[in-house]
Formats: sequence, C-alpha cells, structure tokens
Amino acid sequence: MVVLMLKPMLAKAMLVGTIVVTLSTPSSLRGLAQTSQPEIVEIDAERFSFTPSEIRMKRGVPIELRIRSDDTNHGFRILDTDVNVLVPKRGKGTVTVPFRPDKPGRYIFECTKLCGAGHGFMRGVIIVSE
Amino acid sequence: MAALRLPKCALRVVGIGLPLVLLSTPARAQTSSDTGAPRTGPLSGYMDFHYNKVEFEDGRLDFHRFVLLFTHSFSERLRFVGELELEHALVEGLEQAGELELEQAYLDFLVSRSFNVRAGMLLMPIGIINERHEPPVYYGVERPFVDTVIIPSTWFEVGAGVHGEVGRGWRYRAYVASPLNAGEFSADEGLRGGRQKGAETNAGRIATTGRLEWVRYRGLTVGASFWNGRSGFEFRPRFDVPVTLVEADARYRPTDRLELRGQLAQVYVDNAGQLNDALTRQIGVGPNIARSLRGFYLESGYRFLSGTRAGDVGAFVRYENFDTQHRMPDGYLPLKEFDRDAWVFGGTYWPDPDIAVKVDFSVMRSQSAVIKAPNSLNIGLGWWF
Repeated sequence: MVVLMLKPMLAKAMLVGTIVVTLSTPSSLRGLAQTSQPEIVEIDAERFSFTPSEIRMKRGVPIELRIRSDDTNHGFRILDTDVNVLVPKRGKGTVTVPFRPDKPGRYIFECTKLCGAGHGFMRGVIIVSE
Repeated sequence: MAALRLPKCALRVVGIGLPLVLLSTPARAQTSSDTGAPRTGPLSGYMDFHYNKVEFEDGRLDFHRFVLLFTHSFSERLRFVGELELEHALVEGLEQAGELELEQAYLDFLVSRSFNVRAGMLLMPIGIINERHEPPVYYGVERPFVDTVIIPSTWFEVGAGVHGEVGRGWRYRAYVASPLNAGEFSADEGLRGGRQKGAETNAGRIATTGRLEWVRYRGLTVGASFWNGRSGFEFRPRFDVPVTLVEADARYRPTDRLELRGQLAQVYVDNAGQLNDALTRQIGVGPNIARSLRGFYLESGYRFLSGTRAGDVGAFVRYENFDTQHRMPDGYLPLKEFDRDAWVFGGTYWPDPDIAVKVDFSVMRSQSAVIKAPNSLNIGLGWWF
C-alpha cells in the first residue's frame, strides 16, 4: 500500500525535477538532448591561426567543435559566451566544445593563451544564421 | 524498497537527465565567464642558446636569445602586447656585445574581425620568420640566411596600422612605420644595418608595409608582403634612396609529419649609385651597395617519429640562394663573394612540443674564385614557455 501511495508522488517529483534540470542546463547543452548527432567541426590551431577561421551554422543546430593544436598550448574562447577552454599541445589530444547558440549573429572566437609574437592574430568567427 | 518500484517513465527521465547533468559538469569546469575587467596575462617567452662552429674559426657558445612576452587587456577591445629581447646575454655600454631590444610593444584597438587598429612598436609583416620565430616552430639552429640578409629579421619599427581578416582565411596587415636608414646598408648584409629599431627614429619619411595571407585550408599558408620607404634622410644635401622589398612565401603541411616551405624575396634600392658616392665621401671606403638584392629558399622537413612518449624527431634539408649584389648601379661591379648559396641539413628532437634540440650543418658556396664561403656546424637548444 505504501508503494502504491508513493508512486504518483514520486512521478510528480521526477517530473518537476526534470523540468528544473532542463531549465538549468545551458542552452548549448540542451541541443544534445534534442539532436543526438551534432555536426562536428574540426579546428586546427597553430601559431598564429585557427583553421577554419570562419564557421557557418544555423541557429538552433548544435555543433561540436573539436580543436587540436599543431604546436603549443592555445586557448579557445568564444566571446560573449561561457566557452573558454585550453587546447592541449601537439599530440596531447583534442578539446571538444559543444556549442548551440540560440541567437543568430557573429560569435568571435580567439586564442586566450599567449602563444608567441603573433598571438593577437589568432581570431575567428562563427556566423549563426536563421 | 520504494525506490525499487519507480515507474518506468521516471527511470527513463533519470536515465536521460543524469547523463545530461554529468555531461554539463566537466564543460562547466573548463569554462569561465568573462567580466570584461582589466587583466594581465601570464608571462611567456622563449630562449635559445647555440654552439656555432664556423669553418676556420674556433667554436662559440652563445646564449642567443632571452625573450619575454607579456599582455594586458584594458578591456575586451583594448589590449597591450609586449616583447622584450636580450640578445647574446650581455649588454655593456659602448662595446660590441649583446642587445636589449623592445621588439614589440603595441596597443590593439579591436573593432571587428575585419578591421582593427594597432599602434606602437610593430614587427614588420614580412615573410615567414619575422612574425613567427619561436625556436620550436622552424627547422635549423639559426634562421634562414634569406631571413637574415635579404629580409632583415627580426625587423621591428615604431608605427601604426590596421589588420584583420575577411572572408574565409584572407588576412591582412597594413602599417606605416619609420623607414630604414640607407646610411647603414652594406654589401654583405644588405638592409640589415639600416633598421632604426624605434630608437629616436627619423620620421621625416614614413615607410609603408603590408602583407596579405591566405589561410583557408588546414596546413596551408600562402602569403605575400611588401615594404616601401624613402631611406636617404641622413645625407646633406638631401637625396632620396627609395627602397622597395617584395616577398612571397608558402608553408604547406600535407600530413602531420611533412612540412614544406618556400620563400622568395627581392629588394630594389633606387639611387644606389648616388648612395655609394655619398657614403664613399663620408667614410672613405666604397660600400658597394647593390641596386637589387635577391634571395629564395626551399625547405622540406619530415618528422619520422611523431607522437611517441619520448617526443618527436624530424630531419630537414633546405636550399638557399641569396645574393646581396644581385644588380649593381652603373659604374660598380658586384662582389662575387656575396653571391651565395647554401645547403642546410640537420635534425630536431622535440622532447616536448615546446622544446627543440637542434643540430644542422651548412654547406655554403659563393661565386667568388678567391674568397671561400665558410661551412658551419650548429647545435642549439630552444624552448617556449
């Protein structure tokens, strides 16, 4: 009997909990639940460029940025978002960044780890269209 | 017991929700919000020291470069970058020893991706090496000869200009800067002595320089640069020595292991005859400065060990041809010992991507039947941090 009484209560609690978890999850990650296969974009970082340096995507379509370095540590930050990661050195792996912006526009990304004389040139853009 | 009897839909919700929460945790751990507050970046830099054994001379140990880089962001759009270099370890007054150089110290006013303004002490945007010269990123202990006597790297001057990137991988720089001092040009090292290096420079005649670069495909960089300026400001009565440098280069890395490079540079010195006459009157010896200098090189490097726990090992070969007496003004004959070519070959061991242990051997020839160009053995250790 106790089990039968708990059952609807538990179901309600789980429902509320799920809504809370969903709302508190960053928009860039909500896309993972809605679309199981994000588009993968591989980015090569080296002194002093990101290749590609211009990425085009549709609003609401999740992408997964896989960034690797051909030389030293680089940083990868997308301005006006909370994306700010360290790219490991050559041969030390790849950093993966899920990204799904809700607003169309131009999202500038840049290297945040001082990497040499031309560090300031390491910038690029993600262009999000409707 | 109650938990064991959860409805199936609730279990599904937990099954989806829990991985989502777990997925979000490491992502959050790697991110940080940017408040836009001023921040000073960490200190970075590079160093290298060399052993050079030039034919017919004793070997030399030289702590060639000790370089520190630092940054400061006043805001998202206002940034400072500085690069301070100590060359040859020791600076003493009035003696031919090391140099303490301010190679970069500029403010960037970041307006947009395609248009930004930069002012201060700037690296001239010429060729492969001048802006990209950290020891682990190039083969060979010393920089290529072409990047030394045709393009006088490291070449930096005070100035201002714009830079940015348009479309997919078209990058540009365009600056005005202080000019070269033609009074310091020479027959063997070309423009090199004429760099003013931002030290109370003569700004009566402003030089222009620029570079266009295409970096669209992974591993491929193609670039072209120019520099133009009137450089004869030291002479009385005044006369102009317009100097133009044009350059083209490419770097291609078709695989992780193979890297190919090529560069061609040509310098034109107008009124070189008048310049030689004036300098002869001034110093008593004819400097034999050419009206045209030319150099090129081709390089192939291959990492035959890559990604191992012990690091990477690569070998390279480079052919260079450089002539600082390529075309002479009327009445002057070229000094053939400065029409040179070199085969440079060697290897690099990277125990870490930021550390390079290098060795190379240069086989140099000149067109002179009398003066032999010396070969050299070089060993170096360089690192970036």
